[in-house]
Amino acid sequence: MEEPRIGVYICWCGTNIAKMVDVEAVAAEVSKLPHVAISKTYKYMCSDPGQELVIKDIRGHRLNRVVVAACSPRIHELTFRKACEKAGINPYLFEMANIREQDSWVHTDRTEATKKAIDLVVAAIRRVQYHEPLEKRSVNVDPSTLIIGGGISGMIAALEIANAGKKVYLIEKADRLGGQVAKFNLTFPHLSSAKQMIQPILQRVENHPEIEVFLNTEIKDVTGYIGNFKTIIQNDNEEQTELKFGNIIAAVGLKPFDPSKIEEYGYGKFPDVITSMEFEDMLGTGKILTKYGKEPRNVAIIHCVGSRNKIYHEYCSRTCCMAALKFVHQIRASLPSANIYEVYADMRAYGKGHEEFYALTTHKQIIFLMFDQQDKLPVIRQADRTDDCNMIIEMNEKLSGESIEVPVDMVILMVNMEAQDNVKEVVRAIGVSLCGNQFFIEKHPKLDPVATTTGGVYIVGTCQGPKDIPDSVCQARAAAARILATIAYGSVQVEVTTANVNEKLCCGCQTCVKVCPYSAISYNEIKKSSEVNEVLCKGCGTCGSACPAGAINSKHFTDRQIMSEIEGIMSMSLKGV
Amino acid sequence: MSYSPTIVAFLCNWCAYTGADLAGTSRLRYAPNIRIIKVMCSGRIEPTFVLKAFKEGADGVLICGCHPGDCHYHEGNYKCLRRFKLLHKFTQQMGIEKDRLQLEWISASEGKQFAELVNSMTKTLLLLGPIKLKSKLEVEHLKQ
Repeated sequence: MEEPRIGVYICWCGTNIAKMVDVEAVAAEVSKLPHVAISKTYKYMCSDPGQELVIKDIRGHRLNRVVVAACSPRIHELTFRKACEKAGINPYLFEMANIREQDSWVHTDRTEATKKAIDLVVAAIRRVQYHEPLEKRSVNVDPSTLIIGGGISGMIAALEIANAGKKVYLIEKADRLGGQVAKFNLTFPHLSSAKQMIQPILQRVENHPEIEVFLNTEIKDVTGYIGNFKTIIQNDNEEQTELKFGNIIAAVGLKPFDPSKIEEYGYGKFPDVITSMEFEDMLGTGKILTKYGKEPRNVAIIHCVGSRNKIYHEYCSRTCCMAALKFVHQIRASLPSANIYEVYADMRAYGKGHEEFYALTTHKQIIFLMFDQQDKLPVIRQADRTDDCNMIIEMNEKLSGESIEVPVDMVILMVNMEAQDNVKEVVRAIGVSLCGNQFFIEKHPKLDPVATTTGGVYIVGTCQGPKDIPDSVCQARAAAARILATIAYGSVQVEVTTANVNEKLCCGCQTCVKVCPYSAISYNEIKKSSEVNEVLCKGCGTCGSACPAGAINSKHFTDRQIMSEIEGIMSMSLKGV
Repeated sequence: MSYSPTIVAFLCNWCAYTGADLAGTSRLRYAPNIRIIKVMCSGRIEPTFVLKAFKEGADGVLICGCHPGDCHYHEGNYKCLRRFKLLHKFTQQMGIEKDRLQLEWISASEGKQFAELVNSMTKTLLLLGPIKLKSKLEVEHLKQ
């Protein structure tokens, strides 16, 4: 092995790191270590000039190893690997130390945080010396795509891919396509018809020669890897079909929040307290009527039902404010003299044309009443016989500061968007992760919002987080474009951090064969040694730790690399620095 | 110098490491005594890694993986659990107190739980005091 010449770069991340970690001290301390050729700090390592710095040094100082101490490797490991590659060294001769998410952002003592940063950088330096160049491998891409979910996102993605002449399998667990959007009457902010919008899309999907639709169907386990997946789908009649495809789009959507959990609103107790989705159904009938068949004289629309509230869901559902304003127009058109109350917590009108729509709606003779989510929710009670209304909302009106009673005959609850119930099964099958709100986690929150950490698996629409129709459509088209790019290229790079077996050390016990979850290891009777199929191997390393002979090498996570990392982490503590 | 324990932690890439990152992005605060080593799966964690950490002077070793049933590689965490149970008996026989070695499941969304875990383990190790193995090993070394 050639003598390691390591370049070490400590990122300030503006003040994100530099405020809590003495980056200059870290750079100075680690510069004393053997094999460290240069040690520098820079404001933003991930910026173009930051990357250029690394590239220039690799060339100018003949560096053959690089360590960057910055944010989590989950954010920028790839960025710096690419920079290494650009400068002419193997991208795997790079190691990252996480001194932001796991150091400067979680600690309050600058001395301790700096000490920790030194330990982590020393560990990375010790580890990177044993990094080996790994060669990229690519596999062919099956040109068909599996899309799970036939709502607006799934259908748009399906059309985008199918229109390029590529096969799509569209799986929908319900008995019809269209998802939530098919249940709407109008869309905001233009008050155009949702039905007129979605009908032609449905027809195109159903009649497209390249789209095969499976209704009442769910996926069983998905096996394989990017470019070459396989699954078995099963319909309600328990008929099973095997499908092969190169990429997956999860578009499983959302479900409306069940407001019966919120006692204050009496949903389920008062028949004229209904959800926004139930109101859409009512609008579909063409008449707005109470359960007694009368036109309501007073209608209240309560916002943020299950949203922006620590007890239910802390996040904002993003669409309910505008949908509530949309309802105003529909109610006003049908009931010209009714009193309409918008009982809101905050008005969110961030989208294109939304603020204008809000302004327009205020001219519809409606009354806006504000409540405080953090204080006390409005309470709905049955009106007395002598009252000239059906129910009464008691609330603390925030702007006037007064406790008021609002007479109502019908209450519409703008329910939150929450994750589907059965989401865990899909998540497990396709190998993605969930955030705390049970939404799918994207690969990068800003720069890669439709990909996931599993190659070939994309997430679109509301399963990734609450969003409106244009945002869902954007994601659908983005994922389709990503997939079409890999299909057009014909092949894709796959995991290189796989395992391999040292035949000389293998004792033939076949423990590794048993522990591999992907059946990637087989025993070669002639060679008397185990063999890894590196296309099937996903690099978990379980075989490496099970091998009693130490014959299995988990690439990029070798014993030598991890042992050196441990030594590095502890080296300073023992010295009492 | 007052005693401040060092914890070497092995975290799987998909759940636990992501959970630890979430603690950071959520700006939660926890004790600075932990040093994290990333592995792709808790199934990769060899007993020798843990022993090595203790040998190098760690006062505690923490292993975190995905919750049962949530493993990115289907079942690596179960393999980790099996090895852990055996190893835990062994380390106790070596004279390493039970609480110095812990295995916990942390999901990608459990930043808060991770921060609490680090704090509680740091507290436990403060009560236990410095690991005695270190001085024992040094004596052994001198004898040779």
